[in-house]
Amino acid sequence: MNYFPDEVIEHVFDFVTSHKDRNSISLVCKSWFKIERYSRQNVFIGNCYSISPERLLRRFPCFKSLTLKGKPHFADFNLVPHGWGGFVQPWIEALARSRVGLEELRLKRMVVTDEGLELLSRSFVNFKSLVLVSCEGFSTDGLASIASNCRHLRDLDLQENEIDDHRGQWLSCFPETYTSLVTLNFACLEGETNLVALERLVARSPNLRSLKLNRAVPLDALARLMACAPQIVDLGVGSYEDEQDSESCLKLQAAIRKCTSLRSLSGFLEAAPHCLSAFHPVCHNLTSLNLSYAAEIHGSHLIKLIEHCKKLQRLWILDSIGDKGLEVVASTCKELQELRVFPTDLHGGGNTAVTEDGLVAISAGCPKLHSILYFCQQMTNAALITVARNCPNFIRFRLCILEPHKPDHVTSQPLDEGFGAIVQACKNLKRLSVSGLLTDQVFLYIGMFATQLEMLSIAFAGDTDKGMLYVLNGCKKMRKLEIRDSPFGDAALLADVNKYETMRSLWMSSCEVTLGGCKRLARKAPWLNVEIINENDNNRMEENGYEGRQKVDNKLYLYRTVVGTRVDAPPFVWIL
Amino acid sequence: MEKDGLELEITELRLGLPGRDVTEKMMKKRGFTEMIMTSSGSNSEQCESGVVSSGVDVEKVNETPAVKTQVVGWPPVCSYRRKNSCKEVSTTKVGLGYVKVSMDGVPYLRKMDLGSSQGYDDLAFALDKLFGFHGIGVALKDGDNCEYVTIYEDKDGDWMLAGDVPWGMFIESCRRLRIMKRSEATGFGLQPRGLDE
Repeated sequence: MNYFPDEVIEHVFDFVTSHKDRNSISLVCKSWFKIERYSRQNVFIGNCYSISPERLLRRFPCFKSLTLKGKPHFADFNLVPHGWGGFVQPWIEALARSRVGLEELRLKRMVVTDEGLELLSRSFVNFKSLVLVSCEGFSTDGLASIASNCRHLRDLDLQENEIDDHRGQWLSCFPETYTSLVTLNFACLEGETNLVALERLVARSPNLRSLKLNRAVPLDALARLMACAPQIVDLGVGSYEDEQDSESCLKLQAAIRKCTSLRSLSGFLEAAPHCLSAFHPVCHNLTSLNLSYAAEIHGSHLIKLIEHCKKLQRLWILDSIGDKGLEVVASTCKELQELRVFPTDLHGGGNTAVTEDGLVAISAGCPKLHSILYFCQQMTNAALITVARNCPNFIRFRLCILEPHKPDHVTSQPLDEGFGAIVQACKNLKRLSVSGLLTDQVFLYIGMFATQLEMLSIAFAGDTDKGMLYVLNGCKKMRKLEIRDSPFGDAALLADVNKYETMRSLWMSSCEVTLGGCKRLARKAPWLNVEIINENDNNRMEENGYEGRQKVDNKLYLYRTVVGTRVDAPPFVWIL
Repeated sequence: MEKDGLELEITELRLGLPGRDVTEKMMKKRGFTEMIMTSSGSNSEQCESGVVSSGVDVEKVNETPAVKTQVVGWPPVCSYRRKNSCKEVSTTKVGLGYVKVSMDGVPYLRKMDLGSSQGYDDLAFALDKLFGFHGIGVALKDGDNCEYVTIYEDKDGDWMLAGDVPWGMFIESCRRLRIMKRSEATGFGLQPRGLDE
């Protein structure tokens, strides 16, 4: 196999960047495995408990970038109790002890501490990029360590984290000589911001491309910041309401006009209805717009803005835009690839802001659409069939009908046929979330047609074990399956134990699986961690002679691992 | 049938703490619910005992709403997003303290304390002062003849013309104010409440 010296092969491998492809390369032969090992720069670990830091370092001694994910996806919806796990500390400690030249750390749904951040900031001289998504456990003190010690920091990107804001001076911890900032996102910080320190930081950061501010940055400060950074590409506006005078507004408008590189706009956490018009001059260049937190802005103003955004590729918006607004999107945004429509009213209170009509309009008007997340009150099979016909290119299709078990509102039928049409038409579908009234039939369709499906989210759906079996047997590429409140039990769980070796994880909560069934599974598959998360009982289950036939009315989370049972599980997690 | 309906409403109204069972409230006639909620007070103990005693009855008669409001993690909106949308609800306190005031053509919001005004006249004066613009006050008093109309969003999310209902009722239900150009108001979909009174 070796017609070329190792360096040449390594050079060729440099062009292969996707994790999947690099994994494939490493399986070709021993020699390629070795070369690939030493040259892998970016490591992706989808489940931090599937492997240990020591094994990571043994396999890839020279990596520069690490991506780690901790809690399962349903943790986003408060289904995983606090303290379950996903601690990054052992990873940082192990990496710090080794000689790896870490430059980038990307964490999702993990528990991070200030001590960990301090250790991180001191251990890696060339550390450049910290991206934390949906993490928790740290405060602005940890950010202060990063700011103080990471001389070559380029990116500090905090997305939707729970950060304890000590209202300290973390922004002023960046040294005066520090000028390499490219990305700064602190939108999720709740507290006050040192505006002077922020302005000075932005003023001395000529490479700054992405700036996302928190609520505490008012209008006049925004104007000054934009005036300092006209090269900005990605802007997250903080607070858009102010007690200031109209002169500030004029200054802001002038500053905005100079930001000719601006392509992405987000934020508007508190926003006045008319504020958006200041951004009209730059709309024609925008490719990404996230107004999904701007609950203050009424549909008519959103529409006025969107009418200017002809190049939009990504739009995140609230359902207050209405079906009419979505029709405007459909006729204006011909380049649209990704759309997310979030619910304004989380309690499903009868306001039919968007319906199936909006979804159909989008599918008809936006030929490049491949990803959608759509919250709505009602749906019909006819609409879904039309959408499938209009848009056979969906890669991600997530539909959430707010009321569980809701049927087609015209025919009162289950929505099996509608979703069936989607999976049949969209041959590249990788991610699917279903909702509404669904029988086992929809899972038959999914198993039959969704050959590329990697992630499936099921809630309040199905009739019998057959539903789950159709999916497990049919979807050969399934990686993550998450199910809640559906009548699937032990028979489905145990039918093909080896299937779980091909998947990253399975989540089942409020289903029909029993403790006995889970125990049997754990016995049959020692290479799985089978966790029962029982936040109420704290292991009273076992003490009280919990009957094996009783339902696990808490949560089952299982995942493949090469390092066995984890040692950091709290008392309410029972690993079988 | 009517009698059952009344009983059901009375027991349902005591379910849970105020603000939690939004779904159920929204399913009932709004006027009726509001009257009962404001008169029964917000003593949380009272509400909880209401749950214990009436829980069984309500669940027997009308299961779906009870199930809906107690489903954890549904709809699947991540907790960060929930917190940020709930913030909006909590800052726009009904009847107490500050409401946001926006005016057409002015790209920033103001906040004002409704509690500091004694009536519509006071409000007119305060609004004039807030925006440095004479004419808003006139709109409140002399509806048809001026360029602007003053509208407010009530507890239920409906937009109403300011000045129709008694002052006490207005400050109880006003969540925010908007001063709108008359020309824009015609297509706006204001609720024609108060005309029958």
